Amino acid sequence: MIATLLAQVSSTFEPPTLDFHALAPEITFAACVALLYLVDMIKLEDGRRLMPGLSGLALLAPLIPIMTLALDGADRTLFGGAFVVDNVALLLKAMFFLSGYVVVLLSTNHLAEGDFWESEYYLMLTSSLLGMVVMSSARDLVTIFVALELLSIPAYLMATWEKRSLRSNEAGLKYYLMGVFASALMLYGMSLLFGISGSTLLTDIGARIAEGNSSTPIVSLAIVLVIVGFAFKVSAVPFHSWAPDTYEGAPTPVTAFLAVASKAAGFVALLQLAFVGFAGRTDVVEPLMWVLAAASMTVGNLIALRQTNIVRMLAYSGIAQAGFILAPFAVMSDSATESLTAVVTYLVIYAAMNLGAFVIVIAVARKTQSGEISSFGGLFGYAPGLTVAMTVFLASLAGIPPLGGWFAKFVVFKALATAGTPWGYSLAVVMAVNSVVAFYYYALVLKAMWFDEAPYGDTSPVRVPVSLISATGLTAGATILFGVFPGLLGHFTGSLEGIIAVLPGG
Amino acid sequence: MWLNQFLILGALLFCIGVYGVLARRNGVMVLMSIELILNSVNINLVAFGAFNGTPVGQVFALFVIAVAAAEVGVGLAIVLLIYRNRTSIDLDAADLLKG
Amino acid sequence: MSDFLRSYLTVGIFLGVAVVLVSALLGLSSLLRPSKPTPQKSIVYESGVDPVGTGWAQSQIRYYIFALLFVVFDVEAVFIFPWATRLEAYGLFGLIEMGIFIFILFLSLVYAWRKGVLRWV
Repeated sequence: MIATLLAQVSSTFEPPTLDFHALAPEITFAACVALLYLVDMIKLEDGRRLMPGLSGLALLAPLIPIMTLALDGADRTLFGGAFVVDNVALLLKAMFFLSGYVVVLLSTNHLAEGDFWESEYYLMLTSSLLGMVVMSSARDLVTIFVALELLSIPAYLMATWEKRSLRSNEAGLKYYLMGVFASALMLYGMSLLFGISGSTLLTDIGARIAEGNSSTPIVSLAIVLVIVGFAFKVSAVPFHSWAPDTYEGAPTPVTAFLAVASKAAGFVALLQLAFVGFAGRTDVVEPLMWVLAAASMTVGNLIALRQTNIVRMLAYSGIAQAGFILAPFAVMSDSATESLTAVVTYLVIYAAMNLGAFVIVIAVARKTQSGEISSFGGLFGYAPGLTVAMTVFLASLAGIPPLGGWFAKFVVFKALATAGTPWGYSLAVVMAVNSVVAFYYYALVLKAMWFDEAPYGDTSPVRVPVSLISATGLTAGATILFGVFPGLLGHFTGSLEGIIAVLPGG
Repeated sequence: MWLNQFLILGALLFCIGVYGVLARRNGVMVLMSIELILNSVNINLVAFGAFNGTPVGQVFALFVIAVAAAEVGVGLAIVLLIYRNRTSIDLDAADLLKG
Repeated sequence: MSDFLRSYLTVGIFLGVAVVLVSALLGLSSLLRPSKPTPQKSIVYESGVDPVGTGWAQSQIRYYIFALLFVVFDVEAVFIFPWATRLEAYGLFGLIEMGIFIFILFLSLVYAWRKGVLRWV
């Protein structure tokens, strides 16, 4: 059957014209990843010391084609619409590469000092990032699925990286089971979408389900299943149960990677699915997103209030932040451009500030060997630099001006208000209340750092390696810059007509 | 319509798979239930593809099969690792992390 | 009923069927089965040889790694067949694409070999 069907197609087979400039970031990076494998293959144990530097270079090299593409500025569509390179995709790709670079900086000392497989870790990390980069451009169900699995499968392994630790094992197992179950649910939804539209291209699906004469119940079921699948990925309530356990058990650099890059990739996929594929059926998407957003903010913040472990607190705060990022989806039909801008802006800023918070957690844990919030006591006395940086990140997460997090929250509020619907306003109220609640638990950490006594009176200085200092510098710089010059991101998110063309009235 | 039979088979397999994931407590059994869901997806994709007269469904199914193999490889490795460290693959026994 | 409610009704029905199906299956089996546990019943095989040790007999770990490698490479072959059936139609383009694909597969095989996975210790 395959042969006969393929025969129908390939009798008229035309090789696709490849725009190598548009594919350059992916091709460069894939070649670099293959080179990393070769280095590991040839040098074996001797290559361990080379790997962090080489993978850092591999992550920075594709930024050159991204820059040339951004200067060129034209939207490029390949493979009949399955792969689109526009400004938003470029911005997201740059974000993935840079957060990957920061994760490499975070991991270098952590891995070298512990009992870990080193070379393989960087191979997994870069492979996973390759999936995320492809995801930024994917506009086709098959591409989205393959990109999602390419980014998830190495991440499952990375969560289990501490081989002898039962906690890390358990973290990996929970992440794996939840992730695989979610992608299975999502796939079932995708198979229904394919059945309705007869195509895997998101634009075709969008056009087909917007017609309205297709079977509505099946469409709703498909959309709900796909969104639920990704809700697991971005750890939205009520599909968040894996996140705190996995974050706490996994090695902390991996946690930073999962909390930022992996979560962002889930949102990128949701973005494309919702705005391109499901734009015709906002009556299904919006209420679902409203519930997910409101539940994530509220539950995430309330549970974060009583956490004593800083990684778990950051996990729950991440769930609440996921709620904030989901909020603009709930008004996507009434303020399409604003919503899209808000999601992308929030994602980029969230990546900078949350990675930053993890950098400091890792730096402090090098001395205290603890993840408890109380271990931050008196940090200002012996590590003022780290304290100031952590204050910047936490204040930004809480949304205090003039830091990046404030601007991110502002654009979300703006999107909700522009919609002018009761749904939008009610969600804005929920969000405002939650922002206030969130102040409290961020302030607890600040209080410990600035005013409490150091536990056991131990005030020996923290020795921070160069890689962590540069990671702190990068993330703190980005967090402050996005807050002080919010226009920077607008340059990229400004031209969004391409992606939202299919929205009714958008 | 002949499409329905395949879709019903797919939906049944899907339900059995979801039931298995939620009710089973043995790591390997959960993996097998997930395979059931993926197979129901494959049945759907191939049936829809043939119904719509396009090979895209089968191509998608090929990708699902290949990725499922990689997924299960990783899953078995993780389950094996846990078995080595604690000599049990009962998922309820994995409860160190709470809060 | 509005379209909106109707489309969510389906999701509700689907959910309901799922819940009912699961609870019916579990409930029915617990109603129908007599519950008279005896030590003999809880052993793995109710008749025949008594099992010795745990159900998890130790088997050679190297079988597992080979089996895993086999499964992965075996499944990758699935992508080669559609190309092979229409070799001429895809022409040079198909050849180059498949060359890249097989090269990457080959790379991973060499990787496994260099890492000592293929050695029968």
